[in-house]
Amino acid sequence: MTTRFLWIVWGLVLVATVPARSAFAQGDGPRTHWKEMLTDTNIFSLTYMHASGNVDPLDPALRIQPGADFELDLALVGYSRSFALFGQTAIATLLLPVGELQGETTGPLATSDSARGFGDPVLQLDLNLIGAPAMRNMPDLLRYEPDFTLDLVVTLGIPIGEYDNDSLTNIGQNRWYGRVGLPLMINLGDWVPGHRTTLEFMPAVWFFADNDDFLGQTLENDPLFQLEGHLTRDFTRDFWGSLDAVYYAGGESTIGGLSGGELGDLAVGFTAGFQINDNLMLTAGYTATVDDGMDDLDLGVFRINLIFGWHELLEGIDRLGGG
Amino acid sequence: MVLRSVGNTVRLLPTLLSLGTVVGWAPNTTAADERPNIVLIVADDMGFADMGMFGGEIRTPNLDALARQGVRFTNFYTTTTCSPTRAMMFSGTDTHIAGLGNMEEMVAPNQRGVPGYEGVLNDRVVAFPQLLRDAGYHTYMTGKWHLGKEPDKIPAARGFERDFTILQGAGSYFDDTGLNMRSPKSIFTRDGKYLTKLPKNFYATRTYTDEMIEFIESNRGDGKPFFAYVAHQAPHDPFHLPKDWLRRYEREYDQGWDVTRRQRLGRMIELGIIPEGTRPSERMWFLPAAANLAPGARAIMARKMELYASMVENMDHHIGRLIEYLKSTGEYENTLFIFFSDNGPEGTDLGAMLRGRAGSENFLFHAIKWSQTHPDAWGRAGSYVGYGAAWAQVSATPFRLYKGWLAEGGIRSPLVVSGAGVRQPAGSINHGLMHVMDVAATILDIAGVDHPSNYNGREVAPLQGKSWKTMLAGDAESPRGSEDWLGWELWGNRAIRKADWKLLWMHKPMGIADWELFNLREDPAETQDLASQHPEKVRELLALWDEYVTTNNVIIPDRHMFESLEDALPVRVPVSEGWPPMNFKRPFVPPKELLDEGSGG
Repeated sequence: MTTRFLWIVWGLVLVATVPARSAFAQGDGPRTHWKEMLTDTNIFSLTYMHASGNVDPLDPALRIQPGADFELDLALVGYSRSFALFGQTAIATLLLPVGELQGETTGPLATSDSARGFGDPVLQLDLNLIGAPAMRNMPDLLRYEPDFTLDLVVTLGIPIGEYDNDSLTNIGQNRWYGRVGLPLMINLGDWVPGHRTTLEFMPAVWFFADNDDFLGQTLENDPLFQLEGHLTRDFTRDFWGSLDAVYYAGGESTIGGLSGGELGDLAVGFTAGFQINDNLMLTAGYTATVDDGMDDLDLGVFRINLIFGWHELLEGIDRLGGG
Repeated sequence: MVLRSVGNTVRLLPTLLSLGTVVGWAPNTTAADERPNIVLIVADDMGFADMGMFGGEIRTPNLDALARQGVRFTNFYTTTTCSPTRAMMFSGTDTHIAGLGNMEEMVAPNQRGVPGYEGVLNDRVVAFPQLLRDAGYHTYMTGKWHLGKEPDKIPAARGFERDFTILQGAGSYFDDTGLNMRSPKSIFTRDGKYLTKLPKNFYATRTYTDEMIEFIESNRGDGKPFFAYVAHQAPHDPFHLPKDWLRRYEREYDQGWDVTRRQRLGRMIELGIIPEGTRPSERMWFLPAAANLAPGARAIMARKMELYASMVENMDHHIGRLIEYLKSTGEYENTLFIFFSDNGPEGTDLGAMLRGRAGSENFLFHAIKWSQTHPDAWGRAGSYVGYGAAWAQVSATPFRLYKGWLAEGGIRSPLVVSGAGVRQPAGSINHGLMHVMDVAATILDIAGVDHPSNYNGREVAPLQGKSWKTMLAGDAESPRGSEDWLGWELWGNRAIRKADWKLLWMHKPMGIADWELFNLREDPAETQDLASQHPEKVRELLALWDEYVTTNNVIIPDRHMFESLEDALPVRVPVSEGWPPMNFKRPFVPPKELLDEGSGG
């Protein structure tokens, strides 16, 4: 009984709490910062994203282009690994976007353009500050029952992706950008698979270096403030759902000395998560901005993620047939 | 004429007044005022070694305080399961006479219809609370009954003036979820009526205490003493606890059962509960050495004991609330407290037994009601967790086996008696031979109530138990002499104890399906069968067994729950600590000075 049962337990906690890493201003998604895992856990994620609206969805500053219509099909490949840092659980992630972006603008200078290729790789460190000590062994993991967790997330986009300085439509950003966030989770009920209910927030600030080769001009951005919120709930042990909201503020863009407006926009949506097997989870979700007017941010994002997690110990038990 | 009449009247007044006193003009409570209150608290499936003052590491400050002020008894016996023990407790006679010759759930075909095997507390006995009530005591009961569900068998019909009880043997602690398809809902009574709704925020251990305090409070000050019987469900499985009690013993049992048992043994010897040099029984052969388990497996198994320990401490906490209440009302000093466990700890996986096989109606019932199997759910509603044989052995330290068996682990119970009428030195330990049948005899004796031979027009069985009143008063060492003996039978297992000797018959593979003889003074853990060395003692005790069978109409059941146990368990082998060496020896580390990295090439 014991080793087989443990194998199942480990598998569930290995993957069930690790949705895909996502590091764009559309928000990370629900349950992304849960830390219920052993150190040295590996996670591979594959995300498909379709986004459309009046902003380049790949632009972390979400710079509104009135009259523009962008359509993005993006695949995001990611690898994460958990480890112990200062006695707490930490997760390091590398994300690589690849896709195709099409953009059309209306008006006197109407254009239609597209770009395809690799985007800017993203590095991220997610370090728990409160509530998730490093779990190095099964007894630690078995006893993990958080009431509250607080993490520090630091994200960095590396500007080596596809970029055409004559085009409005680019996969890469040609500038450094990054984020600092403080995701927090409040456990509202029993920490029992099938019964968990959480309230999650992530306040974050995006920072941007200048793009000094944007259509012959310099693109500058003020910091963008982002507040993400999720109310998540287990429906069964293998199926959960979430109501999502993201608020954006700030991020004023300046091109060649001319400034655009600041953001003050809200996006709402939902996510569902399905545990396919002990290693594999699928999530799917949609968010869209609440449209208050013509010049407001208009962005709808559909995401579907496959996450595969594994741990050397779990694999070994599996090879032995669970005991 | 008038003046003479008045004068005559005045002269007669003192006589008239004194006559009034004799006849009872003064309230009846004058005599009752001197009788103590009696609080009888029975735990369910608690082990001999669980509470602090019996050597346990579980925190039981309130029970320990009673033990420090009173007396602990180390040779107190129940029988090996709940309802037969409770039948003997109430009737003062053997369970085969009182109606629980077999448990209601297990009556064998050859026992059906036989008087004494009704599965309920029958009418051949009178329950002592009835006699107390007749004699002017208030009689209150909360908790587990397990002696009949019909209107003429529930507590209100057996002498309890107030009651709040669960009629079945076990169930959820949070609601009325029952244990299987034949008993899907727990049935509760309150004051003789069957409840359709439980009180708000019901949690068994707390609610039983709340209700008892309310019962006592409702008649406080009327001058009548009370008998309060709190039959806790705790710590019987399923282990259910309020959220703030779930993690109180986190990591305290990661060392495993073998180490915990050794530690308890040491403390028991220090306390004087058992003599120096006592060897514990061997670990059951089908249990692994805890040292051979991976840390994760040990943590999982420890979690069950963590919950059990919390159950015991939670029960102690609520016992403390009752004691504090009695202190606050000034009743404590005039109250006699009796505490024991109804039988040994539960080592069988009762949840699995109740659930049955996939496809059965009970399996379906458990899939709906009792399927919260994830470790994070343990202790919460919908989970069914017991702690298994390994930890049950810890609870029964140093004895062999556990509930359901007639080895010492199944029938030796920790008894604490404290309070009014106890004159033995505070905190002392007594090794006199005592039995749960004695409870009725003792309480009636203390209350000054005779046990009748007829009650309400029917003949009732006489008491077989012996009163402890003289012993508690310090005027005797034991209620029994060297020629007194005790007998047991349940599910075909049998035992006789006389003085230090015990003759025991148990089904295979736990026993040998034949008589074994043990000297309990030298070998309390029943490790050395002396039958072949002392055949005369075997003959002597066998004769007592025959007498026991005849006196109590013992019928060995033709069906019992151990029929396929020998096939279900691994073949029984001896257990030798540290064997095989390959599982216990330390990894070899070469000496540093002889290490060579090799020349390569």
